[in-house]
Amino acid sequence: MDPEAARTARESLDLAFHMSNILDTGLDRHTLSVLIALCDLGVNPEALAAVVKELQREPSPSPPMSTAPSSIP
Amino acid sequence: MDEEEQNKLIDLVKELVHRLLSQSPQSQQNPQNPNFENSFRYALRILSSRLTPSIAPDAAAIAESVKRRLATHGKSSDALSFADLFAKFSSKTGPGSVNNKWAVIYLLKIISEDRKSAKNVVNSSTLLPNLGVHELESKNDSRVLNGKEDKQLGWRKNGVLLVNKDPENLRDVAFREFVNLLKEENEVSEEVLVRDVLYCCQGIDGKYVKFNTMVDGYCLSDLVKVPRATRVMVRKLCELGWLFRKVRGYISESMDRFPAEDVGTVGQAFCAALQDELLEYYKLLAVLEAQAMNPIPLVSESAGSGNYLSLRRLSVWFAEPMVKMRLMAVLVDKCRVLRGGAMAGAIHLHAQHGDLLVHEFMKRLLRRVCSPLFEMVRSWVLEGELEDIFAEFFVVGHPVKAESLWREGYRLHSGMLPSFISQSLAQRILRTGKSINFLRVCCDDRGWADAATEAATAAGTSTRRGSLGYGETDALETLVIEAAKRIDKHLLDVIYKRYKFREHCLAIKRYLLLGQGDFVQYLMDIVGPELSEPANTISSFKLAGLLESAIRSSNAQYDDPDILDRLRVKLMPHGTGDRGWDVFSLEYDARVPLDTLFTESVMARYLKIFNFLWKLRRVEHALIGAWKAMKPNCITSNSFTKLQHAVKLQLLSTLRRCQVLWDEMNHFVTNLQYYIMFEVLEVSWSNFSNEMEAAKDLDDLLAAHEKYLHSIFEKSLLGERSQSLFKSLFVLFDLILRFRSHADRLYEGIRELQARTMESSLSSRDKKKSSRQTNDMHTKPGSWLSDGRKALTQRAGEFLRNMEQELDATANEYTSLLEVFLAQLPVQQHVDLKFLLFRLDFTEFYTRLRPSV
Repeated sequence: MDPEAARTARESLDLAFHMSNILDTGLDRHTLSVLIALCDLGVNPEALAAVVKELQREPSPSPPMSTAPSSIP
Repeated sequence: MDEEEQNKLIDLVKELVHRLLSQSPQSQQNPQNPNFENSFRYALRILSSRLTPSIAPDAAAIAESVKRRLATHGKSSDALSFADLFAKFSSKTGPGSVNNKWAVIYLLKIISEDRKSAKNVVNSSTLLPNLGVHELESKNDSRVLNGKEDKQLGWRKNGVLLVNKDPENLRDVAFREFVNLLKEENEVSEEVLVRDVLYCCQGIDGKYVKFNTMVDGYCLSDLVKVPRATRVMVRKLCELGWLFRKVRGYISESMDRFPAEDVGTVGQAFCAALQDELLEYYKLLAVLEAQAMNPIPLVSESAGSGNYLSLRRLSVWFAEPMVKMRLMAVLVDKCRVLRGGAMAGAIHLHAQHGDLLVHEFMKRLLRRVCSPLFEMVRSWVLEGELEDIFAEFFVVGHPVKAESLWREGYRLHSGMLPSFISQSLAQRILRTGKSINFLRVCCDDRGWADAATEAATAAGTSTRRGSLGYGETDALETLVIEAAKRIDKHLLDVIYKRYKFREHCLAIKRYLLLGQGDFVQYLMDIVGPELSEPANTISSFKLAGLLESAIRSSNAQYDDPDILDRLRVKLMPHGTGDRGWDVFSLEYDARVPLDTLFTESVMARYLKIFNFLWKLRRVEHALIGAWKAMKPNCITSNSFTKLQHAVKLQLLSTLRRCQVLWDEMNHFVTNLQYYIMFEVLEVSWSNFSNEMEAAKDLDDLLAAHEKYLHSIFEKSLLGERSQSLFKSLFVLFDLILRFRSHADRLYEGIRELQARTMESSLSSRDKKKSSRQTNDMHTKPGSWLSDGRKALTQRAGEFLRNMEQELDATANEYTSLLEVFLAQLPVQQHVDLKFLLFRLDFTEFYTRLRPSV
């Protein structure tokens, strides 16, 4: 990435981070950058939001959610 | 997605899950947490289940809704800063920036909503939920962690309680429903409709919009489902199509009818002008059709839009063509039954309009329409040519003989006179062309062509075609006036100089109106005895010969032979018992072109005047003859010294009676003659001469001549109002003639008596006289030679008594008739007849005789 693009990216991330703070999403900068990258790839934002909700919520993984508890890659 | 992207995706998801899990307070630094795998797979499942977003990808709209949400929750400064940030965010383009901005914003929105709803679920048991007010200004990272505490404090700080309406979702839902509804209602898209409307405006039926004969217009068929507003709009736009159909129908109709010679040149010009306007219209439609396919470029790139041309834009474009087309349709309706100059006049009336667009349009149209008319006027005025196959010009020509060419050959047809040419101008146009034709046909003159070119140069136009147009009525007027002036002058020149009009008029006055006294005298002397015969025994050849000799023996012989040539004797058709006096008249032969002036009817009037004057002359002649007979009075009186006193007295009284009566009659006739000669004829003639000098054209001349004749008629008691007077006058004349015969007889008798007395006292010294008188004696068979003097006296007395009685009778009749005549004179309308009365009754002798008046 050339410095110009890098700067643009950084600034965009900054702005997005500010906006997310205003909106009180509770996302940190790194997570937000990952999410932005995923959105750029064309993933449905509704789905992403659902993921975020689910994973942020669970204090413990609920048994019906996980499939094979012993599945290890 | 391709392989690389897929891998990237998985990596990113892993990273995300890791971050999220590490975020939550429960899972800690163990990346190989069995939760991780589960979570990861779960995340993947969620991601793959919803691949398309449920709302339209409009970043601006989402940002708007966020802003609104923030504002309604009292965080207006937050809203402003958010707006600011979003503006900056969306302005970042190029490498390194976020492509799916809307996705990012949407994501943030949903996440924040979810958090809020989660919080609300938590808080609902204890408190009224509120959406939290957060005053975040700085960019601190630690905020995110601190945020939770702040939030919990936030609502307590603000104390603003809002009901959880969740309006954004409702609004979204409403929008979604509306879009679905529109999709249902609109079976046909706007593009297709626009294209159909454009077709209709050229008269072609489109796919959905067709011509409906029941409604007599273009409309959408009822089967097509479109909202009512669209239907109405389409109907309004297609009015243009209806008007277009009407205009085009008229044009094609006229073109079809043209070979049948029903549509004139003006009609054709009108059609051509309409076609030109339609060409402009087609051009506009072509441009619009080209534009209909192009989408309009918008400022924001992520939003799409329809094509450039919507129905509403069409209605704006159609405003001006609609006005023009409506005008054309109105004109077409008006002009369907009109032709020629009437059509031009009707169109001209429509051109009196204040709107500049309309005015320009009509002016263009009228220029084309009136060009054939103006051309016709020009060729008529400068060349005398009427090229009018379709009878559209307001000058109509009839084929007539040469002598009535002026009066009846050409007339104005006011139906075809357009309203921008005034009556007086039209009259002038008519006269100018007529003059040229008159010169060409009757006078065989070619000099008018020069006059015409002079006129054209003077007026500033040329004699070529097409140099005048509508709107230049002034120029036309100048041209016509110039041409009229010159051609009239030329015509009058020709009439006066070449055809010696004045001389002929004078000749007519001298001969027909008995102006040449000595000639008339001679004529009367010679022709008189002839005319006393019955009418059917008179031969006109003899009379012609007598006329010749009369001319030769008077001053008339020095006149122009051409004029004398034309003078002839005319014997009118006679009935039985007519004497020559009743049928004799003189005639003047006026040839072309003067017989335009001296037409049959005019000559008939001259004839009437001639008859009257001739009779008057005859009476005068008779009286003079009587005077001649009465002259030798002294001889008469002297020779009767030998008679008896009684007879002498009787003789004297009779003679005196006769004298007195003769005097009266003479007075009457002389004064009447004088009046006619001087107060009627000469005065009228001098008026006529003055008017002849002042006449500008042949019409003026004709009018002056009419006036001249009319005044003569009226003043000499020949008019209709003086009929009764005229009759009594003629009775008087007859009486006078009878008196003449009485007088003649009287004097003859006296002379005979004288002869007898001479004879009875016969002395040889009167041989000379007696030789004359014996002639008288021999003419009388049954002579009194044998009678003595007594018988003679007795005879004389008887004779004289008879005569006296007759004279008395005559005198009485005369007096009464004269009274009647004089009584009628003052009540006549014409003022000059009072002068007659004045003359006749100079000493008021007659008024004193009539005590009743």
